[in-house]
Amino acid sequence: MRILFEKSAKKSADIEKLVSGFFENVPTLESELNIPVIIFQDGVNNSYYIKCQILGSVASKIIDLNAKINSKDPESFRANRELMLKHTTYLKMKLDASKGREFNDIIVEYNHGYNTDRPLKIWGGQHRVYAISETVNLADHYHGFKVYFDLDQNQRTEVALISNTNMGVSDDTFDRMLEETTFGNTLRKWCQKIGFLDTKEDFPDVGSRSEKITVKIARSFIVNYYFGLNKGKVIKGEDLDKNIYEPYVTETGVSIDVKYAEIMNEVGNKILSDKGLIEASEKFLELHKTQYEKVKENPKKIPNRKAYRNKALIISVLCGWSYVAGLLQNHRARLLNHYKIPKTTSKIPDPLNAEEMSNFKHDSDPPTYRGLGTRQSPKDMQRLAQVFLAKSLTDSCALDKRFLQKAVSTVVGLTALKKGYA
Amino acid sequence: MLTYREYLFYSDKYIQLAEAESGDKLKFLIPSVLLSWIAIESFINNIMDDFGSVPEDLFELHERSLLLEKKVIFVDHGSDTGKFKLDQTEYRRLEEKILFLIAKFGNLNEPYKGETLWQKFRDLRDTRNNILHPRRNMELELTIEKAYKYLETSKNIIQFVSTNVWHKKISF
Repeated sequence: MRILFEKSAKKSADIEKLVSGFFENVPTLESELNIPVIIFQDGVNNSYYIKCQILGSVASKIIDLNAKINSKDPESFRANRELMLKHTTYLKMKLDASKGREFNDIIVEYNHGYNTDRPLKIWGGQHRVYAISETVNLADHYHGFKVYFDLDQNQRTEVALISNTNMGVSDDTFDRMLEETTFGNTLRKWCQKIGFLDTKEDFPDVGSRSEKITVKIARSFIVNYYFGLNKGKVIKGEDLDKNIYEPYVTETGVSIDVKYAEIMNEVGNKILSDKGLIEASEKFLELHKTQYEKVKENPKKIPNRKAYRNKALIISVLCGWSYVAGLLQNHRARLLNHYKIPKTTSKIPDPLNAEEMSNFKHDSDPPTYRGLGTRQSPKDMQRLAQVFLAKSLTDSCALDKRFLQKAVSTVVGLTALKKGYA
Repeated sequence: MLTYREYLFYSDKYIQLAEAESGDKLKFLIPSVLLSWIAIESFINNIMDDFGSVPEDLFELHERSLLLEKKVIFVDHGSDTGKFKLDQTEYRRLEEKILFLIAKFGNLNEPYKGETLWQKFRDLRDTRNNILHPRRNMELELTIEKAYKYLETSKNIIQFVSTNVWHKKISF
């Protein structure tokens, strides 16, 4: 069978050899009918690929649904999002497959580097392939595949991203892929070391459906800790309470957040050994666990809602808390106060007083404001930083309504004062 | 405690009740006027509390005296002898608080006390005083139109202070 290079593809003997090997090992319609095959080269990332037709019964035996971004690292996790086998769209897809629907543009990588029995690593179309596999006994048709060869990690990540752009794949999944491509598994190891993730557990692919830390949340914690740390180095102790602090939420999606990248390029693996960061993270996890348990065990006093249980993981709460943890590194007494879990009382069953926070509204807020610690706006993060900074002034306090009002009043007052003097 | 938006809402409700009343309307118009005034009081007092919550040395002592409605006294005994400090409560007029906030944060180039809004505010103040400090020889002439005018004045004063202190308009 003839193998040709498309005119804009740079000829490569290695690629031709790989493609030839593919057709020797995988039965296709092209080889059966002796149709010439063309090797294309992607104009953006230079990756090589072919298009071919493979029978469902063949594909189902050699497709690997657990494709990994880093194929050489045994610790690398499955990169694709979880299959949604009860989703209406999937059920329709499966019904169609059982009736003989032919699917096209299924994106795979031919890779013998791991799970060698299944060399077709899927990057786009895992639901279609799963539907084909489940119905192959009812209808066995040819399906269109785009097969990539010899991908490096960056090419693989991009193939994964572009293959999923139209499928409503969450930003959390994109974050997870890009994180591993750019910085390896340091962030995941850090989360496992602290206890945010269990050993051998990966970040969830849809954060909003899980109760676990996501890549975005973990990145935000680290960025804010170091932002606070750097700010704390230039502020005298007596001036700590005269500032408005501006925690930062890392961007999510198809590109790596710039500030996070700067920090990781500077500290990198040190996040696994930075004592200050580790202590802060452990204390934060303690707060999260306490909040979670207190909400769960007091259903008569506070609704057992996910947003209340996971109040500590709400982005504005987490960013405010971690920023203050960094800020107070050189002020040990206040830092230890910050690390103490806020008091609970008969009226305040959970340390973060999630319900009171949700009901909170300042006069300057629009009528639609949804409460403290409910969104990731800069204003909300400033307020939460002030709540925790104010809390660090005493070794024992509850975040009751009056306390929250005073903290927010301080931020509003300082903001107006700053503008008035400007 | 209610918010200024809620006081404004109730003030409006009372006017609507007055409109629907075929007999004596005053029983609804009087609370409406008071609620329009209370809305301003609530709004201004809360802003004063915001500034009262910032670290002490960001304001002068006499400014904090106004913010916290505390009297400045001269200490002539004990460890603070010879110093000034804030002591017992000393209530200040709403008008003074507004004047302070605008002077401190407003950056206004033009005097505003001669403006129509300020005149309307004084009119509302006088009516409120007449209601709260009644005398036999006073006439209380309240109409639905006047009550609406006071409600509007209350909103305009709140908006005026908001744009000068927070530099943003608020929605009611």
